[in-house]
Amino acid sequence: MFLSELLASSLRMAVPILLTALGAVFTERAGVVNIGLEGMMIVGSFWGALGSYYYGPYFGLLLAMAAGMFLALIHAVNTVTFRVDQIVSGVAINILAYGSCRFLSQAIFKMATTSPHVAGLPKIDIPVLAGIEFLKPLVSGVSPIIILALLLVPLTRFVINRTVFGLRLRSVGENPLAADTLGINVFRMKYAGVLLSGMLAGLSGAYLALEHTGMYVEGMTQGQGFIALAAMIFGNWEPAGALWAALLFGFSEALSFRVVEGGAIPYQFIKMIPYVLTLAVLAGVVRKSTPPAADGIPYERGMK
Amino acid sequence: MDKAVVLRGITKRFPGIVANDGITLEIEKGEVHAIVGENGAGKSTLMKILAGIYQPDEGEIYIFGKRERITSPGRAIELKIGMVHQHFMLVNRFTVLENIILGAEKRAGMVIDEQKCRKVIGELLSLYNFSLDPDARVEEISVGQAQRVEILKVLYRGADILVLDEPTAVLAPQEVKELFANLRRLKEEGKTIIFISHKLDEVLEIADRITVLRRGRVVGTVVPSRVTKEELARMMVGKPVFMKLEKTPVPAGDVLLSVKDLVVRENTGKPAVNGVSLEIRGGEIYGIAGIEGNGQKELAEAIIGLRKTSSGQVTICGRTATGLSIREIRDLGVAFIPEDRHRQGLVLPMKVWENMILGYHRKKEFLKKPSLNLKTAREFTEKRVKEYSVRLSSIDQSIDGLSGGNQQKVILGRELSRDPRVIIASQPTRGLDVGAAEFVHEELLKKREEGKAILLISADLEEVLSLSDRVGVMYNGRITAEFRPEEVTPEDVGVYMLGGGVKAGEGA
Amino acid sequence: MKRKYLITVMRILAPVLAIVLSAFISSIVILAIGKSPWQVFYTIFRFSLSRLDSVAIILYNATPLIFSGLAVSLGFRMGLFNIGVEGQYLIGAFFAALAGFTLKGLPAVIHLPLVILCGALGGMLWSFIPIYLKVKRGVHEVISTIMLNYISYSLIHYLIADVFMDRTQKLLDGLGSMLARTPKLPPSALMPKLHGLLGLFGIELPRHVYLNWFFPLGLLMAGLTYYLLMYTPFGFELRAVGQNQEAARTAGIKPERVYMVGFLLSGAVAGLVGLSDLLSYFGYMDLDFPRNYGFDGIAVALIGQNNPFGIIVSAMLFGFLKRGAEGIQTLLNVPMDTIVILQAVMIMSIVVITKVMNDYIKRLEKKEDVRVCSSQNSSLQV
Repeated sequence: MFLSELLASSLRMAVPILLTALGAVFTERAGVVNIGLEGMMIVGSFWGALGSYYYGPYFGLLLAMAAGMFLALIHAVNTVTFRVDQIVSGVAINILAYGSCRFLSQAIFKMATTSPHVAGLPKIDIPVLAGIEFLKPLVSGVSPIIILALLLVPLTRFVINRTVFGLRLRSVGENPLAADTLGINVFRMKYAGVLLSGMLAGLSGAYLALEHTGMYVEGMTQGQGFIALAAMIFGNWEPAGALWAALLFGFSEALSFRVVEGGAIPYQFIKMIPYVLTLAVLAGVVRKSTPPAADGIPYERGMK
Repeated sequence: MDKAVVLRGITKRFPGIVANDGITLEIEKGEVHAIVGENGAGKSTLMKILAGIYQPDEGEIYIFGKRERITSPGRAIELKIGMVHQHFMLVNRFTVLENIILGAEKRAGMVIDEQKCRKVIGELLSLYNFSLDPDARVEEISVGQAQRVEILKVLYRGADILVLDEPTAVLAPQEVKELFANLRRLKEEGKTIIFISHKLDEVLEIADRITVLRRGRVVGTVVPSRVTKEELARMMVGKPVFMKLEKTPVPAGDVLLSVKDLVVRENTGKPAVNGVSLEIRGGEIYGIAGIEGNGQKELAEAIIGLRKTSSGQVTICGRTATGLSIREIRDLGVAFIPEDRHRQGLVLPMKVWENMILGYHRKKEFLKKPSLNLKTAREFTEKRVKEYSVRLSSIDQSIDGLSGGNQQKVILGRELSRDPRVIIASQPTRGLDVGAAEFVHEELLKKREEGKAILLISADLEEVLSLSDRVGVMYNGRITAEFRPEEVTPEDVGVYMLGGGVKAGEGA
Repeated sequence: MKRKYLITVMRILAPVLAIVLSAFISSIVILAIGKSPWQVFYTIFRFSLSRLDSVAIILYNATPLIFSGLAVSLGFRMGLFNIGVEGQYLIGAFFAALAGFTLKGLPAVIHLPLVILCGALGGMLWSFIPIYLKVKRGVHEVISTIMLNYISYSLIHYLIADVFMDRTQKLLDGLGSMLARTPKLPPSALMPKLHGLLGLFGIELPRHVYLNWFFPLGLLMAGLTYYLLMYTPFGFELRAVGQNQEAARTAGIKPERVYMVGFLLSGAVAGLVGLSDLLSYFGYMDLDFPRNYGFDGIAVALIGQNNPFGIIVSAMLFGFLKRGAEGIQTLLNVPMDTIVILQAVMIMSIVVITKVMNDYIKRLEKKEDVRVCSSQNSSLQV
């Protein structure tokens, strides 16, 4: 029972990281580094809560994805059209997300840091499996978004590897000049990658607010957008890899909660675990992993 | 029957030069037509015009008898012209199949119809008898195979005219054979092939007709059976115009730079410099001739310490330099004029005087602890500016506002004025106008008279022959021949530059 | 020469344009919540500038931002992105606090400099981790510094609330619970206010203003940074590496060494960011110790175009905005986070505007080149 509960809680913790990491796969495969994903998760959590508060959870989810995409659009304009430093733009996006959510939260909820309680999606019991006692924590009362996120892994993989869109998306991240000479619209592909990442990060933020906590709380993303980036790197820019990495991070968090209950280690150290893990993972893995060849480099026509 | 391609009076100008000057050319359907010429003769510009990358300033183009304007690479494909670039435009992480279909995927809705793609490619492979695994990743296949991918890319798009830009430059001899077999097969199937090269043997072997370009103009079109290699070389080079340079005899000094069995590997592990040995005495200019990419750049960078050497030894003024840092090697008295001014020679946004002391900024005369001695640095710069007549408005000007020649003078001023004993000059006149180039030549000769040992690397054969006391030809990472310039003609050297004279694998 | 003039004009114009653009976009945000932008901006100016003590508060607000902007700009100058100033200053502030409350009985002339030194040391220590990971393990400094920021939040929380919590503090009327904070620093470790000095000039500041000697120290630090960058051999190397790593390496400079030293320096300056607050207003470190100075520093550095004196100006601008934000929140009930939005938009607009201008200058240059070339040709023919 303990084990399956631990696994269930790992999964719940892993989902926001997974969703954002899948988004990161799209944007980085198109050659755009997006550290604004954290900010896109923030707006996702806020707008998701807002939408759900007024019109119910489905509307909240839509609103969250739209908000994430809006920030992504700004990032794309900055980095693809104007070719400014992708990191600087990402930092600004994060600040904008933080500031705008505080601003709006105050203007709408009259509180800078939290929203009232909001409704999530109806929970699902997975038929048949929910009957098995051992699996119960894993398969009963599951948020549909968890299932969606898991389904998105093979779907993303399929889109990236098997579709015309995916092939072209990858080509602009690897060798935009070659893609351009073959008549592929490099800019449109990059926009698509960035926008998809914003949508998924927005969804991920909404999951946190609607499904995980039941309200918007300032800072609830806790840097998971950045951790998602690390998960994507750890997963070698592959959706399946991102899944395992996200589960690793989720597991470490789930485990840490159990440890806190034990009280052996100060909980602040437990809180550090995902970040320390990220550093360790990057220090150990980064030389071996291979980013898309033109990742982070703005593409300019007529450049050599 | 209509000609495949007819060019009439094609002219293309770039700032400062006319790359193509009224080129008129006819290419028959189904022939292999070679276009030869030296570096800078205008071959690549012409090809880029055909590929739709450049637009000609003047002239007309007819494709299969119809007047056309090739406005973009996409338009070129529509006209069934396929370009095989010298530098492959491939996505290394993609499979062969993915590279071929990219941008022209056979599809079922949004999904790639892999079976169909596979079928089409399989048919092409068997039709032209290409050996290639569609599922191999491009990063794992050989250069020759990568080239086949490029060719298949254009065939897949239905090209009837194939333009190959220096296709053999990157190939090993065995691969060249395979390429030629493939080209013959393409010809049998009725494709027209335009083959750009400066390797005469190959051109004579494969081409039906050869057009020679020199300085942007057509010198003539010949049939291989009626021309010798020497005649062709003369057409390419023109009358060798030697620059009138006063070369006073200088007594040979001690050996100042000695390189022994040097091996330098690329990141891929392939040796770029493969066992080079040479000795240069004071008062001597040792020139290295060779077609670019035969290891010259790596040799220079290994001597100065920018590249790790795998084995062998570099000795400078009697001291072992192998394994020392760049600064330590420079302190032994080595000056370095890098081949790429903008990437390696200068920090472009910085000021003229800052660039003039770059690398020497920790010398005593430029320090007034704890700060830089701006006064001496500026005085030093002013002096050099006068001495080398650098044209600028102020030494506080950012160096990217200077012309190429004046930028090079700043580098010369920096590198040559602190009494180095060994000078490594890599392509020192590249991109300079005649006046500035002459200045550089005189400067190098002056240093020779002062008893310095100079290693001159240049792709410009005339330059190497007129400046050097000895000339080594570098081919495939080795020095394959050594001459005294007065004993040879450019054609003789040219044969070695193109890999003739010795079998590959033999040393000097 | 016309070009140089043009560049100078554009360098000055870019931040101004960015500010105008940001003000415009913020106006839309303000309109969206049904307030009048004019009234808001008017209030910001009136509230900030109408009284002397308010001006002093602006300078006090600007103080940490000067240090933070300088720290970020040192990174930018060598082509690195120090997002970790945030964590570095918190660790620095804690080190300073530690040196403050553990050492007792020292005279102020020794104690205070020691405390400041410890602050710098703490920041430096925290900046060592990411730069070591970058140079030795190839970990990009952006992700590592972000992770270290989060780690520092938790670490500081632990140190303040568990290890060094002041358990001797008196509870008000014996009520409430103890605050999670360090012991108070003795007066010998505190930074004197500027009131005395200003008094000599007849300027009397009220006691609730905490403008202190860290402000002139910040100005001095900007001067020192400028000196370091423009006049010392190391600064020369740092700029060369930042602008063309490969040419610097060819010239015998070791970029890795420059990264290491430069980043540690950036961390040391970052370590001073929180000290103005710690050693004057707070006198101890608690869980409410101000955050986000590190991120503010990024905006300050970018608006100040990485020029130390530009950074002073932009730090004051942000100090002014922060003061004004308090005004609009109290007087107009407009959330003070308006200025955070303003700040984000400013960062974006400054980089976009600079980029567009640079491209424009490059295009001009190309045209000029062509003209020079063609005139040369014609002269040759004559």
